Amino acid sequence: MTTSKLADHVRSEANVHTSMHDISQEINVIDSSVDDDKLGHQPPNSIRYNGLIHMIMITINELFNVNKLKDRTKKQTESMLGLIQFYIYHFLLLFIYILITIYKKFQTIYRKFFIKFYTLIYHHNNSPQLIRDDVNKLNKLPKTLSCILDLKDKDDEMGGIDGLINQISELTAWTLSCGIPVLQIYEFNGKLITNKSLLTKLNYKISKNLAKYFGLNNLPNYSIKIPHENLIIFGPQNTSNSEIDLQIHLLSRIDGKPTIVELTKTMSELAINKELTIQDISIDLIDEELIELVGPEPDLLIYFGPNLDLQDFPPWHIRLTEIYWEPENYDVNYSILIRALQKYSNCVTNVGK
Amino acid sequence: MSDWISTFPGYEQVLTTAKKIFGKIVQTGPVPRHVGIIMDGNRRYARINKIEIKEGHSLGFDTMASVLELLYESGVECATVYAFSIENFKRSNAEVKWLMDLAKLKFEQINQHADLCEKYGVKIKVLGNKRYMPPDVARILRKTEELTKNNKRATLNVCFPYTSRDEMVNSIKRVVDESTKNHDLIIDESAIDRHLYTSDSPPLDLLIRTSGTYRLSDFLLWQCVSPDCSLVIVDQLWPAFRPWHMAKVLLNYSFNKYWFGHGNGYTTSNKGINLYQSSSVIDLNDGKSSSGYQRYADSEWPDEDESEEDGEILEDIEEEEEEEESSGNSSGIERERDDEVDTVTSSESDSNKKY
Repeated sequence: MTTSKLADHVRSEANVHTSMHDISQEINVIDSSVDDDKLGHQPPNSIRYNGLIHMIMITINELFNVNKLKDRTKKQTESMLGLIQFYIYHFLLLFIYILITIYKKFQTIYRKFFIKFYTLIYHHNNSPQLIRDDVNKLNKLPKTLSCILDLKDKDDEMGGIDGLINQISELTAWTLSCGIPVLQIYEFNGKLITNKSLLTKLNYKISKNLAKYFGLNNLPNYSIKIPHENLIIFGPQNTSNSEIDLQIHLLSRIDGKPTIVELTKTMSELAINKELTIQDISIDLIDEELIELVGPEPDLLIYFGPNLDLQDFPPWHIRLTEIYWEPENYDVNYSILIRALQKYSNCVTNVGK
Repeated sequence: MSDWISTFPGYEQVLTTAKKIFGKIVQTGPVPRHVGIIMDGNRRYARINKIEIKEGHSLGFDTMASVLELLYESGVECATVYAFSIENFKRSNAEVKWLMDLAKLKFEQINQHADLCEKYGVKIKVLGNKRYMPPDVARILRKTEELTKNNKRATLNVCFPYTSRDEMVNSIKRVVDESTKNHDLIIDESAIDRHLYTSDSPPLDLLIRTSGTYRLSDFLLWQCVSPDCSLVIVDQLWPAFRPWHMAKVLLNYSFNKYWFGHGNGYTTSNKGINLYQSSSVIDLNDGKSSSGYQRYADSEWPDEDESEEDGEILEDIEEEEEEEESSGNSSGIERERDDEVDTVTSSESDSNKKY
């Protein structure tokens, strides 16, 4: 059983081209106007409720809500003593929560200030030269950079599909300036992947943004790869022969656990047909297949959200990945990227004992 | 500073009581059901404090016992500790041997006091690829599992020797094997879940890594990428990690879960809640679930009816809190000092080979 055959099997199961398929010509024909509303329901945002007064009022509500308490404690104990005991302990817990709220308020202010400060210190000014200068100080760069992006509400700042496309195009320019060869973009829903006209839009936006950074005459070569569909799109002016400066991989949830499941299915079919024995399945085999099907293991993973949420990122691939996120940060921001890279370069020296 | 305090008479007693009280308080709020711990930093601690490496491992073991005591007091059902990675076999022979000896010693102690285990009610399970284990150690571990298998109160999973990739491959193998025997088997994520080593444990809620390393080092990868799991990284090295730090982590988790519906705090993505509750789809924008905790409570108890809403008191606040984590408790709360046994190692060697 050759390894490429296994991956081909998985792909043919999913009605996907077994060889890399170039759709750069196709997608350029399609009209780029796309209606955001047709894209279906977007993941909701929760509303933040952590005002101190709100907190206190809820606590009072909680205290008066004796009926509720009785109900709750039924699971615990029926006796009056148990109820009172529970009442006291829960009151203490809520009191601790109030203290935590106050503490977190100050922490939030501090962190917001901190992020603002770094945003002032590190700014790209749309110049690859400045980014290059920042990066040259580092002693180690990741070979593969992975970013988890959120698809925000349309009404939010940098929200909706347009916001996402903007974020990707900015990240592309930054990583190209840094000299990182592979950029993986993970977006849970995979909205971009399923829609070809959006890919057109993305391609257009990226090249436009690169022109802003590098000038029209020396645009870098890039390619957008969608591992799950096995599709590749080349930038506007380069052919498949010229050297690629940056590969962009678009990943979504489907590249995580579902791909491992697909691989398992394929292997079980082969095993039923006696083409594969169970002893053949090894870490190396699966590793090879998943690199073929999804992409390389990222060295650095950046989450551009306030609190880490891995969102079903491909589990096989984050074994040794350095994870970075900045609390209280809501944007895709150059200062976050550069701080992540700094941290990554420092960590390597720490690890080598 | 804590060193000289711990020399006071009665310190242990005070600590145990404090843990009990803390456990009772925190149990009235959301508590993680399954906690994973990467016990990293024993060797670095030993180097910094100029003690022998095996002393460091030994101290790490004491820390583990103390932290686990707090976890079980707080109502955590299951704790999974990363004791030894398959990659750790690449360390020096002397160290591997010493770790194996430590494991043997501690597990033998447990076996000799089997009645104690029963009293404390902790079930010990060894997760990992037993093929890599020396036969004498394997025999002792099997005996421990056998002796404690009937305990119900809490579970301790000891990962020894373990890597998550090995676990996933093992699970895939078993699924493939099952499918060759049963052709109608539906292969999906739950099939793989079912064959993971942690299949009898509740879903992982909290993963703690010490020594300020922002890496998962091949531990519970499949389980922890779930959007419901929160990852906490603390700066202390493992032997310096005190129950007090653990308490802070637990309180923070509890607060975040209560307030934002996610153990990590406010997230801009609440996708996981929709995904994993597909049986009872919750509309997150329905206006009623304005707080994270309410969503959390609703999703835990989908059939709880809404009739108990208190219209009179502060009707503009639509928070209604359900309590569900406060089960059992308070009965058999004893010290479990001698109970959990294991070797504690850092799992860095796997990272080294990369660079």
